[in-house]
Amino acid sequence: MTKQLLMGNQAFAHAALEAGVRVVAGYPGTPSSELVETVAQLHASGSAEGVHVEWSTNEKAALELAAGAAYCGARVLFTCKQVGLNVASDALMSLNYVGVKGGTVLFVADDPGPISSQTEQDTRRFASFAKVPVLDPATPEQGFAMMQAAFDLSERYHTPVIVRPTTRICHASTFFEVADTAQARKVPDEGFVPDPKWIIFPRRAYVGHGEIIQRLGEISRDFASDSVLAQFNVMFEGGAAADTDVAADAPADAAAPADAATHADAAAPAPQLGIVAGGISAAYAQDAIAELARRAKAANMDLPAFRFWQVGTPYPFPEELATEFATGLKRILVFEELDSVLEDEMLRHAGKTHASYEVLGKYTHDTRDSGENDLDDTILRLAHYLGVDALVDCQCMSKDQEDLMSLVPVRPPVLCAGCPHRGSFYAIKRALGKTPAVLCGDIGCYTLGNAAPLEAIDTCLCMGAGITMAQGFAVAEPDKKQVAFVGDSTFFASGLPGVANAVYNGHDITICVLDNSTTAMTGSQPHPGTGVTLMGSKREPISIEAVLRALGVTCIHHADPLDIDESVAAAQKAIEFAGPAAIIFKSPCIQIIKPGVPADIDTETCTGCKKCITEIGCPGIGFDASARGAKSKDRGQAFVDPTLCNGCNLCTQVCPFDAIVPGMPLESKEVAR
Amino acid sequence: MINILLAGVGGQGTVLAAKVLAQTAQDKGWSVRTAETIGMAQRGGNVVSHVRMGNEGESVLSPLIAHKSADLIIAFEPGEAARVLPYLSPGGTIISATSALQPVTAALSKQPYVAGDVIRGIERTLDQGGAQFIAVDDAALCAEAGSRKVLNTILLAYALACTDAGLTLDDLREAIRTCVKPRFVGMNLEAIDIVQAVCAGR
Repeated sequence: MTKQLLMGNQAFAHAALEAGVRVVAGYPGTPSSELVETVAQLHASGSAEGVHVEWSTNEKAALELAAGAAYCGARVLFTCKQVGLNVASDALMSLNYVGVKGGTVLFVADDPGPISSQTEQDTRRFASFAKVPVLDPATPEQGFAMMQAAFDLSERYHTPVIVRPTTRICHASTFFEVADTAQARKVPDEGFVPDPKWIIFPRRAYVGHGEIIQRLGEISRDFASDSVLAQFNVMFEGGAAADTDVAADAPADAAAPADAATHADAAAPAPQLGIVAGGISAAYAQDAIAELARRAKAANMDLPAFRFWQVGTPYPFPEELATEFATGLKRILVFEELDSVLEDEMLRHAGKTHASYEVLGKYTHDTRDSGENDLDDTILRLAHYLGVDALVDCQCMSKDQEDLMSLVPVRPPVLCAGCPHRGSFYAIKRALGKTPAVLCGDIGCYTLGNAAPLEAIDTCLCMGAGITMAQGFAVAEPDKKQVAFVGDSTFFASGLPGVANAVYNGHDITICVLDNSTTAMTGSQPHPGTGVTLMGSKREPISIEAVLRALGVTCIHHADPLDIDESVAAAQKAIEFAGPAAIIFKSPCIQIIKPGVPADIDTETCTGCKKCITEIGCPGIGFDASARGAKSKDRGQAFVDPTLCNGCNLCTQVCPFDAIVPGMPLESKEVAR
Repeated sequence: MINILLAGVGGQGTVLAAKVLAQTAQDKGWSVRTAETIGMAQRGGNVVSHVRMGNEGESVLSPLIAHKSADLIIAFEPGEAARVLPYLSPGGTIISATSALQPVTAALSKQPYVAGDVIRGIERTLDQGGAQFIAVDDAALCAEAGSRKVLNTILLAYALACTDAGLTLDDLREAIRTCVKPRFVGMNLEAIDIVQAVCAGR
């Protein structure tokens, strides 16, 4: 055992391996990607034996592969981000009816905020829709324990189990004691045993539905009483005469035994105020309670008596614990992110038990109804709820601070300096000129093509939607040109059915495949077009051109996006073609190649016209209003930031005065893996 | 509890700096939690790392720091220092690199981004209270070290040398040996020596 600083996702990988997981499959997506990467690293280093790990083509492929292995009795782990489960949902809905043999855990990472996602959907809600148990950690340590418990729970009831952390759990780091080596549990000798139950049929589904209802009742009771599972539901009392310091220090991590509820002694008044929290909000609430208790002590005050409950097992909801928690309470405040899942459950529980307590939360505007929660907001709302507003300072900004903020520029994410996508977008805009067109984007770094000055994206919906949406625009607005952008990884994940549809139904669209030889946005994962696998062996890369041809696309052009003339010429030909056409813009992501020699501004010839900035908006070029030169007079001059510029030389082709001394891209565009 | 916030621009090395700080806390036997910005926001956007250390044996649950409670802020860029100022505790210290990174938005905008104005604005804002502001001439220090790759180590060293966070430059050296790839350890240790010499003469 060694103690290591691990990010939540890395720790969850160790937890699954220590639980004997044999098959790990997923599709990259922030904030979930590091789990599969960690398993792959541990496999490559020899410390995880017997495990198969892969990036599958998409989430549906990953879950179905995992299901097959689970039918044989292997312990399997599927990973994705919240919207990834939408892609795999067809498989999940039926899989729950069929049931599993080997422990089947779905690691689905939600993204409140959202920080890197399209939606603020809540996988706890998806779990109840699919009738699958879900565990919701408040800390990385609790997630570690949940990951291991999830495999046992899955096998006990033959049900898939979801573990749902959120971004702040996935990307929080702390020190973990982890095993030096792990061995995948063997597939049982009998392996897959053919049985009619593996074949989903209406009759089987009817029987399966009954089995699901039966087991959900049992699991709900396990969540309240099973020694391993009940520890995820932390309950304690504090305030008034109770020892608040002790209560506030009650850890939400796995070390907290189920019976750690520090009930106030008989002399203390019974609490009438309840606090329910789930996920990271439970950590914020506990820290907020500790902070308010500290401030109250300093002010020689008492917090009123309260009872706290972290619901770590939101579905099936542990009704017995809810009854225990709600006894004697008059009001209950619920802290949770995304949907009002716990709030709904408490309201339902009140109805079922004819209880008179009031539930405060998102519906009553007592907590945030969208976006992330945080410690500041939780302290503020909790102080108000507990009637101790005096303990909270004003969060308002001073006049100086407001003035200061007016000097600070906004800094949204942008395409990197030297990103080849910049050249692709620029070429399409140049080729179109004033021709009316709709530019359909997709999911990936290239969504950032929407920003000024490129403004080369009009739509973005979901994975693979660009190609298919362009066809809808073509039908509804046939007088406009329709261009769809798709990345290489997205092309394989969900682009192919759209291409087939365009060919089959004869839609006049131009498909721009932005092939940068990696899944860039999520941290440079390989995909079928690279041939690189997580198991170490390298396959023949699947050719995007060959796929397009096989699907019936006849007009296919190639261009280096960092060569403007070549790219514009290719774009013009493809756009003019009547029917589905494609351009493959191929140039590697700058994150996977070594940087070249940076370009430089010739201060003698720069006129300060800013064209290099207003045309392509590369973060490697800034503007210094105080710079002076022979041609620029007092207009100021552009400058190159040599720490960012990688010598792609797109700007040198844009400058009308040849005032940019070319850099030197690496001669070989060999991917430096 | 020691709360340290690192603020910068995606790609500047805040994530590794947070990792090194976490290691120093671990070496002291403290509980520690960090939180990072990862994903789309990393692409040249503003990023923040939170590091929370339980230096008095207390447990730490939330990985995020509340406003007005960072004992130390280490900013890799002056504009980013200004952006996270609301996190600084009334008696805290903020140190910031003085070299600006111009975002494309500023180059396109009519209002230029002038780092000097921002630094003066931070000084003005902190003038009344008990907080301390330290501007670090990162360009000169990186030039002396021979690489901008050590910017994160220079800022960490500066912060620990100039504040009383309970962590020393030797703690930092130890953590660097654990966290940084072996071939980069030497240049990072040299960077710490450079900062130590500068701060000794302060």
